Amino acid sequence: MSGNEIEISGLGKVFGQGASAFRALSDINLTIGTGEFFTLLGPSGCGKTTLLRTIAGFEAPSSGSLRINGEEVAAKGPNARPVNTVFQNYALFPHMSVAQNIGFGLKMLGKPKSEIDATVAEMLRLVRMEAMKDRKPSEISGGQQQRVALARALAPRPRVLLLDEPLSALDLKLRKEMQSELKRLQSETGITFVFVTHDQEEALTMSDRIAVMSAGRILQLGTPHEIYHAPADRFVADFIGDTNFLTVPVAASDGQAATVTLPGGTQAAARLPEGMIPVTGQEVTAVVRPEQATLMPAGQGEMQATVGTSTFFGTDTHIHLTLSDGQGFILRRQNATDMASPEPGQTVGIGLGAGTLRILKD
Amino acid sequence: MAKSYDVRRLPGFGVIAVATFVLLYLPILVLVVFSFNAGPSQSEWDGFSLQWYYAAFANEQVQDVSIRSLWLAAVAASVATALAVPAALATTRVSRFPGQTMIYALINQPLMVPEIVTGIALLIVVAWVKVSTGYTGMGYLVAAHTAFCIPFAYLPIRARLETLDPTLETAASDLYASPLQAFRYITLPLLVPGIAAGFMLGFVISLDTVVITEFVKSAGQDTLPTYMLGQLRRVITPEMNAIATLFLALSLLFVTAFFLITRKRG
Repeated sequence: MSGNEIEISGLGKVFGQGASAFRALSDINLTIGTGEFFTLLGPSGCGKTTLLRTIAGFEAPSSGSLRINGEEVAAKGPNARPVNTVFQNYALFPHMSVAQNIGFGLKMLGKPKSEIDATVAEMLRLVRMEAMKDRKPSEISGGQQQRVALARALAPRPRVLLLDEPLSALDLKLRKEMQSELKRLQSETGITFVFVTHDQEEALTMSDRIAVMSAGRILQLGTPHEIYHAPADRFVADFIGDTNFLTVPVAASDGQAATVTLPGGTQAAARLPEGMIPVTGQEVTAVVRPEQATLMPAGQGEMQATVGTSTFFGTDTHIHLTLSDGQGFILRRQNATDMASPEPGQTVGIGLGAGTLRILKD
Repeated sequence: MAKSYDVRRLPGFGVIAVATFVLLYLPILVLVVFSFNAGPSQSEWDGFSLQWYYAAFANEQVQDVSIRSLWLAAVAASVATALAVPAALATTRVSRFPGQTMIYALINQPLMVPEIVTGIALLIVVAWVKVSTGYTGMGYLVAAHTAFCIPFAYLPIRARLETLDPTLETAASDLYASPLQAFRYITLPLLVPGIAAGFMLGFVISLDTVVITEFVKSAGQDTLPTYMLGQLRRVITPEMNAIATLFLALSLLFVTAFFLITRKRG
């Protein structure tokens, strides 16, 4: 990974005019490194697809600048940008064979036939579709169409490959397969991937970095680890994984860390987000991931709770608890053999290890 | 479980259905049967013969008007189709604009205005142009037929375009195709069934038209239908039945081709 492939600054996109205008993207600032697997993650309508389409050139930005490999492309059409797209519905050309689909980009670039044939053969091998090269898109399965769409977009050797929720139409097993397939293709080709998804698990497992988006803005930009363990705000914490939100008063704060009073009266240290200095007595939102809390015998741990229902998930069990002040709390305990779920109504302790409690910016 | 509602079980359904089919096909059946009559009668069967077909084929006037009809239909349907393609693109491949429904209505005018009204209007305008230019050629018929063929060519092309995923054109442009290349390599090949269907429909409609041709044609510009109408005013021989039967066969051929093309690939 060296250098910046994509530099976006102050990018905005407004659809419509006047009273019916809709601001789809606001002040997007983003740098994507060469060879990076970068994911735009967010719920539907957050602007992630609009941002991808703007990078592809299908939408012209209303403001700001967009550079690809150092060159300003905001005013250029999609056919003048060194990027290719894998579409959500694949958009394979139905009247062309698999091989013709893959070779289309090179043909439009005016490459000689010998070069096209060689690249098509290479791409067919890369996505393991050699046997299907003369079939029409309607004669192959959804997963195979997905591979052809990938090969077609990779064949012209773009600097950036854009992927618009390419796995959402596949069933779970095939999706898992294609996830590792995508990672393999990316490491084999070294091409920068910009991947759009609303699936947080997909984003966490595949990406080098993630931009979490909501309402046309980037809320947080970071590695999967940072996004998961240090969510910038309530939206990110809620969207990525499961989280317990606790409303607690601050007992003391020095600008680096704070001490909060947990339900039941125990005081515990909590990490503060950058730039937040709460005053003593202020109510803040503290978060704990369900798997970071441990179940303890009654009387032990930082908090006491009453057991509600338990749900068995195979690898782990989700235990729904009610804290002494009435707030709900979910605890995820990894399963081992002969481990009994706690009885409903039983009183238990909750242990919070050092560093698990984190205060969110409001 | 309740039985699903079945219109075929309603009392009188069978009678109405049979009556409708009799009304639709009996007259045509009579016409076809008597085209093979050995005698000159339209009501008395004198045995099987192909003589009226021989007579029709030998009739130079029939040859003359048939060729004119086919030529006119081919030219009018071709021009109408060529005009309908950009019209269909301009009304489907753009974001909705104010007045779009109005444009549809304007393009489809010949489907709504009574033919006799168009005929009279054309008669007046054509008369002016004839007087001021002195031109009396086939141009008037070509123009008139082209105009009313446009909606018939336009509708199947537009229907085809509406089923085409616009993402395909986006994908083509993403793969470095210019707008013209995207049209040439993606849109046009996928549009061929619609274009062929539009042409067929326009061709049959032009072939069929009596009213507008009757008002627009100059002397010696009879088409097959106007010639048949003229002959019927004098004497009805089974030769007319033979011509009508052949005409019917030709129309059926085109309409069948139209259905086969539009059914293919949904």
